[in-house]
Order: sequence, then structure tokens, then C-alpha cells
Amino acid sequence: MLKFIARRLLYMIPILLGVTLVTFTLFNVAGGDPAAQAAGRYATPEQIEVLRHELGLSGTFVEQYLHMVKQLFTLDFGRSWSSKQNIATLIKNGVGPSLTVTLPGFLLSLLITIPLSLLLAYKRNSFLDKAALITCLALVSISSVVYVLVGQYFFAYKWGMFPISGWDPSWDGRWQYAALPILILVSLSLGSYILFFRTVFLDEMHQDYVRTARSKGVPTFKILVKHILRNALVPIITLVVLQVPFLILGSLLIESFYGIPGVGGLIYQAIQEADFPVIKAMTILSAIVYMIFQLISDVLYAVVDPKIRLG
Amino acid sequence: MLGKIALALVLISGLVSCTKKAEETANSISYAFNMNLSSLDPAQAANLATNEVIPNIYETLLEYHYLKRPLVVQPLLAAKMPEVSKDGLTHTFKLKPGVKFQDSEAFPDGKGRNLTAQDFVYSWKRLADPKVKSDGFWIFDGKIKGFNEWRDKLVKGEGKFEDPIEGLQAPDDETLVIKLTRPYYQLHYVLTMAYSAAVPREAVEKYGEEFLNHPVGTGPFKFDSWIRGNKVVLSRNPTWHGGTYPSEGEAGDQERGLLADAGKALPFVDKIIFFEMPEDQPRWLNLMKGALDYSGIPKDSFDAAVENGKLKENLVAKGFRLESTPRPDVVYVSFNMEDPLLGKNAYLRKALALAYDTETSLKKFYNDQGLIAHSPIAPGMEGFDPSFKNPHKEYNVEKAKEFLKKAGFPNGKGLPTLEYSTSGSSTTRQMAEYLAQQFEKIGVKISIVANSWPQFQDRIRQKKAQMFGIAWGADYPDAENMLQLLYGKNVSPGPNNANFKNKAFDELYEKAQKLPPGPERTKLYQKMRDIFAQEMPWIPTVHRLGYYVVHGWVGNFKKHETIPNTYKYLKVDTAKKAELKAKL
Repeated sequence: MLKFIARRLLYMIPILLGVTLVTFTLFNVAGGDPAAQAAGRYATPEQIEVLRHELGLSGTFVEQYLHMVKQLFTLDFGRSWSSKQNIATLIKNGVGPSLTVTLPGFLLSLLITIPLSLLLAYKRNSFLDKAALITCLALVSISSVVYVLVGQYFFAYKWGMFPISGWDPSWDGRWQYAALPILILVSLSLGSYILFFRTVFLDEMHQDYVRTARSKGVPTFKILVKHILRNALVPIITLVVLQVPFLILGSLLIESFYGIPGVGGLIYQAIQEADFPVIKAMTILSAIVYMIFQLISDVLYAVVDPKIRLG
Repeated sequence: MLGKIALALVLISGLVSCTKKAEETANSISYAFNMNLSSLDPAQAANLATNEVIPNIYETLLEYHYLKRPLVVQPLLAAKMPEVSKDGLTHTFKLKPGVKFQDSEAFPDGKGRNLTAQDFVYSWKRLADPKVKSDGFWIFDGKIKGFNEWRDKLVKGEGKFEDPIEGLQAPDDETLVIKLTRPYYQLHYVLTMAYSAAVPREAVEKYGEEFLNHPVGTGPFKFDSWIRGNKVVLSRNPTWHGGTYPSEGEAGDQERGLLADAGKALPFVDKIIFFEMPEDQPRWLNLMKGALDYSGIPKDSFDAAVENGKLKENLVAKGFRLESTPRPDVVYVSFNMEDPLLGKNAYLRKALALAYDTETSLKKFYNDQGLIAHSPIAPGMEGFDPSFKNPHKEYNVEKAKEFLKKAGFPNGKGLPTLEYSTSGSSTTRQMAEYLAQQFEKIGVKISIVANSWPQFQDRIRQKKAQMFGIAWGADYPDAENMLQLLYGKNVSPGPNNANFKNKAFDELYEKAQKLPPGPERTKLYQKMRDIFAQEMPWIPTVHRLGYYVVHGWVGNFKKHETIPNTYKYLKVDTAKKAELKAKL
């Protein structure tokens, strides 16, 4: 297992180099001239040149790319070109608020949808199952913007149950602002999670071991929890672990509507402003986080399912 | 499922009610920007939002009178208006005595020290220092003796920051002498801009690159906190040098209650809270709930709020009022005059201008908030004449067809498809499609090139865009700031993005630069405007209007986009606020 992990970690290096190369190329082809951007609306060609030098853009493409590779290994991304803020601080300050919303939202979604899906799978084709199925399909077909807009309008504005938007950095104070975004996140994932888990559980329902257990007279509840749930763990783990990077990266839409100072908006804003240092930092970090959790999910497969061998 | 959701709701609501509500100060002003803030360093006061926060903390030598229109400049950190030599080249400022920087750990004993003339020399040098990466040097570029030479040496590594500049000297702590290379009648305007504010060297050196998050100025408010992406909080500065509410204004101010506080000490509020809310809905809903004290009207809420130029009854009943202000700007479709086809064929440009129905576009895209533009000169500026009608600006399809024929393309025959560049937002895209429909009426076809905002600007700077839609907001209330958009020496990457070069125009522009404000200069501006109308390097479309919905408890509200430091004048009637807020 350790050998496997070590090998996978080594694989990350060429992949990351590839990611940086693609980002670098895309930005230089389509990103706009950052020096001219930063020089303002009265810029003269000379001033743009001076700024190009200050921003470290006067070197050749190879030099600039090597600089990016250096940043990849030192994780020092410098400052944003547009807001002049320290990028590491921006990201560090943003991850907490992002996770405040996404983590409870995600856990709550799992807590609700896993047992519910198990029940639906057990009662498949019943009225309850059909009604739930239709509801879920309806839920996933509505655009996420609608949830965000309608949630804010009714729960916060009309009924006054939550603040409309805002943030309090203190641990106690933040929940009043995070509560509604968490609920929105839960309702956004309900439909798709239930549809996914129900299918996973249904696959297991038909397995021979279930029939055997049933014929042995094992109580239904025990079959569901001890056998089916356990055997369905692999796809569940895939979903859960691979979701973590997205939790860290936050939700752009929810954050910008509810005033959550997370990382969700960072990359969006950076693209709008040709802010390459932020784009670089976010791309590289996303790639690293994603690969690490991919690795974790592979290792966990082996832990829950002895049939899977890593190698 | 519903049961569980209901349970979760109850649980979370319980959690919310347990937490202590953030403490609110009733005597405060809350406002939300539709964008994010970037840096609180005056040298980097580039974006509109930042530019509105900084002047509460930092101050400049001069400022605009809050109420008078057209805008009038008055002293702020200067004791009086500067003495100007006969040739107009030397401006001597005396500083207001007793001005202190705000208390900060940047100073040895934590107490703010006195402001000196040397602080201005230092702060303005920063604008030119390439290390600061400021985009504000243009306010002095080429205008102060020895400044550009100082900058060039610094860039080449041949000079030091400490080297003196001939035209920028502080002979003693209270005196600042500016020597110009040529008369620069806009100097007093640019000395009201945040770029020219005084920053203390101690703070810049102590915080280094983090100075942008630790503002220390002389202003009426000091910096409290900033939750990035959420809000900035400022509070009353106890060591402020003071100021009083104006006792004169323009006609009608008295009736509107804008002079009720004449002579009273500023500022009136204890706190200002600036929110960053890029989305329209939360901004509007927060206003409706009273969490914001005033706001612009998002495009999608306009019909719900305003009818025939008046605020709707249901909002009036809640105590809201509507305030409008002309924006000193111009929206236009620019032709690239270096394009071999459009640049050489004035009939073609005029035909396109005549085919464009601005009145409908004003309704469609600006909720009818604005004036049809006939020239670059915006309302409220010297040289703006409301009766001036650009002969090529009326909407007249027949005449447009006639001009197209004269251009050599009867009914568009033989004319290749023209390219119109735009940035990628949905509104600009809709505007581009509207433009295509307009030109289609006379048989002219255009293809739309949508770009990201940075790419769009690049295309313009590199003169690659054949035709594009853009706007310019004036930096100061002098028509020169609009007419420089057509001055031959300012072509791309400078602000003359139409790359218009006209000898007669340039000569008039240079002549006007040497003249003080007055009828003679106004005449030159109008001559330049007439050349514009004959050449039509743009289709000027709209001068926009700013609309604000303001709560009944906010007093002394008079907004002008060119005046950045208006918050010290605003007043909150806390009793009325409690009463009206309870009804929301």
C-alpha cells in the first residue's frame, strides 16, 4: 500500500507540470495583456513597458514558465495583479468561510439522502418511491440560480427567518449568515444525491447475498444497514471523497449572493480581470487538492473492499 | 423527506436565534457597491468603489463644494486656494494648520503626527514610482517641471527616490510649491482626486506591501476593519481637523432641505459601512429591509420601483424617495479611424449613425434614464449646450440610406460585413444584437465578436477592433477630459481609442489647453465639437443618469459622481430610522 501511495504521489509531478503548461498557454493565448490592464486608462506605451518589467513579464515565455514552475514547488504565488493583495492570504482567509457553508451542507445532505435512498430502494415502485422519484427529477431540473434567488427572496426577505446576506467572522456569529446558504446547498443536492444513491442501493438489492439473507430470516433493517449499505460503500466513498475539493473551493453562486467571503469568487473575478497570479494559484491548488483526494478515495476502496487490490 | 427538512429548519433557526446579533450603531450609513473593493492605497484608487472609500480616510489639498453646481473647487487640506503666478505656471499652496494623521502604530508613540508639505511631495512621487504600480501618474504626467525626468531616471536605475524634483518643492512644513511645464488649468481638479491624497511615509514603510490594508490618513473617518469580499467599516476619526456643512448651494437646495444644517460641524454619522455586493438581488432586498440606507436601482428592479420617472406609491409610503443625478459620461460606438474602410469614408460612418435609433435603445437598455448624446461633452460641463443637435445624430433611415449611397454602397451593396467587438456580458451582447438590427435596416451587415473584458480591451489597444461599444466617465468636470478622447496624440493604447487624427481638432485642443476657463475656451470646445459632428469618429449614444432610492431617515443627500467625499455630509435621523424601519 505504501509503495502504491508513493508511486501515486510521484505521478502527481508530471500531471502538475502538464496542468501548469496548459494554464500558462491558455492564459498567454487568450488572457489579455496584464501590463496594459494594470497601467490604467491613460497608459502610454512606455508606461506599459515599465509595468511589464515590474510584473515580471519582460522575460521570454520559457523564463516565465519556469518562474511558474518554481511557484508550483514553493507554493508562493505572490500578489494579485488587480487587487494587489497577497494571494496566499486571500486563499487562507477564504477557505474557512467557504467550508462553513459547504461542509455542513454536504454532511447534512448525506445524512438526509442516504437513509432516505435506502428506504426508497427497499420500497421501490411503491407510491412513496414514485412520488420521491418525480420530486427528485423536478428538483434536479430547476436551475441552481432559482434556488439561490427564491431562497433569498422568501426565507430571508419575505419571511425574515434569516439575514438577507452578510458575514460575521466570529465562530458564534457566522452561523446566522451561513444557515440559509447551507439549506440552499442541501436542497440543491437532494435530488441528484437521492437519484444516485437509490440506484446504487437498487443494484445491491438484487444481489444473491440479499436473497440468501432474506431466506435465512435476517430482519429487513439488518439487511439494509449491515449488508446493502456496507456493500454500497465504494460508490458512496467515491462521491464523498471526490466532493471534498469542491467543498474547499466553495460555491461561487451562493457566496456571491449571500456575501460569504469565500474562495468561490476568487477565480471568477481573476478571469474577469486577467489576474494571472490568482488564476495560476487557484488552478495549481485545485489540481493538487483534487489529486490528493483521488488518492485518498483509492486507498479507502481497498480498506472497505478487500477484493480491491492497489497496485 | 419534508419532515426532515422541517426538522433541520427548526434546528438551524434555533441556532440562529441563539447567536447574538451583530451590534448595530443607529447613527451610521450603509451602502453597497456592485463590485469588489481592491486596495485602500490612494495610489491604487483605480476602481470606482475603492475611489469612494478612500476619500473618507485620506484627504487631498482641494475638494469640490458639496452643493454648488456646476462644480466648484474649494480648499480641504490647503488653508486657502493657492496663489497662482501671473504666467499660471507656479501654484503655491499653504497647508491648513493643525492637521494630524490618524493615530496608528506606524508612528513612534502611536499618535498621529502633523501633516507637512513634504507628505505631498512623498505621496505624489509614489504615483510615479514603478514599484508602486500606480495607474495614477497621468494626473501629473508631463505637467510638473522635472517630474518625468525624475521618473525616467528612477526607472533606469540612475536616480533615487530621494532626488529632488524642480517643480515639486516644500520650502517649509506649511508650503508646497508646484512649478508647471505649461499652463495646466485642470490641476485644481486633479488635486481633488484620491490619487493626490497625502499618505504618511511611516505607514508606507512600516506596512510595506500590506500598506493597502492599513490605511492611515487625515480624513473624517478612520479605518476599522475589512472582511474581504464582504464589508469595510470606517468610524469617526476623533482627531480630525474639522469642517462645517456648507451654507450656500444651488437654487432649490434650500427648499429641498439641503441647507438645514448650514454651519454645523461635520461629520454627522459615527460609522460608515461599505458592503461588497456584486449581485443585484441582495443589494435591492437589503435596501428594502433597511439594511442599506440608499442604493442605485438594479436594471431588473427598475420597473418595480419607478413609473414615469417617479417612485412608485408603495415605496413612497414606506418613506423612500428618488434622487437623480446626471452622470458626467458618454456612451458611444467607436469606429477605428485607422480601419481602411471605416476610417476613410465619412459618409459611411454618418449613414450608420443616422440608422441608429438611440431613443429606443435608451428605453431598452437604460430604463429611459439618460439623455441622447450628440457629442462627447457631457451635461454639466463647460461647453455643453443642451440645444445643440448633431445633424448626423437624428434617427432617419431615409437619410441614412442616402448617405450610404453617397458612401458608394447603395443599399449596402458591395459593403463587406463589418465587425463589431464587445465584451462578453449578456447586456453588452444584447446591445450588440440591437445594433445589428439597426444597421440591417439600411442593408449593412455586422458580425459580433464577443470577448472577455481583458481581451476586449486588448483588441482596442492593439487597434484590432473595427467598431466597438464603450463608455467614458469623466475624471473632472472639464470638457477637456472628454475631448482628449479624440486628441491625435492620445491614440491607442491611450484613451483616444477611435484613433481619430484631425489637424484642425488637435490645434484647437492645444490652444484650449493654454486658456483659462471662460467664454474664449468654451468657444474652442464648441468648435471641436462641430468638427466631431462633421467627422463622426463615433456614434455618441447616451449620457446616463444616476438614480438612487434613499430612505426617509437619510438627510443632506446630494450625489454627484465626480465628488468622491460625500459621506461626511450625510445625516441620519435615528428616531425616524427606528420608526420607519419597524414598518419595513
